[in-house]
Amino acid sequence: MSATVAERIDQVAAEFAELEPRERLELLLEFSEKLPELPERLQAERDAGIGRVHECQTPVFLWVETPQGRVQIYADVAPEAPTVKGFVSVLDEVFSGATPQDALSAEANLVHRFGLAEALGMTRMRGLQAIAHAIRRKIAASAA
Amino acid sequence: MVKEYSHPEVLVSTSWVDEHKHDANVRVVESDEDVLLYQQGHVPGAVKIDWHTDLQDQTVRDYIDKDRFAELCSSKGIANDTTVVFYGDKNNWWGCYAFWVFKLYGHADCRVMNGGRKRWELDNRPWSREPEPRYPRTNYVAQEPDHSIRAFRDEVLKHQRQGKPLVDVRSPGEFTGELLHMADYPQEGALRGGHIPGACNVPWSRAANDDGTFKSAKELEKIYAGEAGLKRRTPVIAYCRIGERSSHTWFVLQYLLGYPKVRNYDGSWTEWGNTVGVPIERGAGKPAEKEAVRSGT
Repeated sequence: MSATVAERIDQVAAEFAELEPRERLELLLEFSEKLPELPERLQAERDAGIGRVHECQTPVFLWVETPQGRVQIYADVAPEAPTVKGFVSVLDEVFSGATPQDALSAEANLVHRFGLAEALGMTRMRGLQAIAHAIRRKIAASAA
Repeated sequence: MVKEYSHPEVLVSTSWVDEHKHDANVRVVESDEDVLLYQQGHVPGAVKIDWHTDLQDQTVRDYIDKDRFAELCSSKGIANDTTVVFYGDKNNWWGCYAFWVFKLYGHADCRVMNGGRKRWELDNRPWSREPEPRYPRTNYVAQEPDHSIRAFRDEVLKHQRQGKPLVDVRSPGEFTGELLHMADYPQEGALRGGHIPGACNVPWSRAANDDGTFKSAKELEKIYAGEAGLKRRTPVIAYCRIGERSSHTWFVLQYLLGYPKVRNYDGSWTEWGNTVGVPIERGAGKPAEKEAVRSGT
């Protein structure tokens, strides 16, 4: 049995907590680099503007699917927005493979768990929070 | 009709920066919206100054004070006589913001790398992923803030009541009041939509070309003097949502077109649109300015 979403959030939070605030940006950059490429079948949708998250910094595209009742996140974030890309990659790590119920029962304000406020500032933190909420809504919609 | 920029020396090209980036009296400063871009790759030798975490006070809504500004410069190896070259993402939006804060504290020699990150990339110049370089500490002495380039709310109210020009550099949707925030930036909303009465709308990005460089003096003159009807000698105040996009327009008016009395209202719409009792206008503005709104981006 794989870890629950709450446990995975704790694990990622612990990784960030080990670092100095400024070093946490390096870890976020590493996360941004491991976000998987968007599958070809979704690239056409992205090019048509489908999947665009309107709450967050441009341009972010998100899809949530739940094959066999497990959350699968697909995302496309512009390379010139690595902070957002890194955070989406963190969300992918904690949510993918979980059941929608597990994902939705985990804390909604998880952006505050990674000790990034000092390095990012509140304005950017609110932007990332909007993405976390968008993913939760998409998980709920996909599972409905 | 102007043919050249009024202060062409404040703009430097990517090739100039490539050639002078390691000069002892030059400090290249990257300032971005996305806080990770510097780590992802920066102009070799450049230091990073973040608009939010370095230049703003984290408790009071204000800039860092004079002493902290001096400490920031000293720690980045910037002396009072250093030539500081700013660049960044999004048409140098944040580069201009940092430039404005440096001017607020009286730094003499500030430049902007025309085209910013985008132009550097298009020119295939090298990116460094090295950690931020450490330069020998200086003993920077900052000046008292220069409020001739900064407007506060009550001054804006007075300016507005006197019918003096205001440039609202937000998108047309924010200007008319249709949107309460910039598309994609809901976190910086306001309780009321619209604009400061009498303001004209010239979205900030109209001053930039597709490659991030500034438009020519002639093109800029056509937009700001022609469409918006600004007069060189009349005091003008630029604003946006938090004072960042308008620092780009401030730079254009003051340094490229040479308007002598331009102030940036950094409280901007997140202050005005949330303030009890101040006048607000909705819709497309005065008929003469509708053209500027329609052709805006």
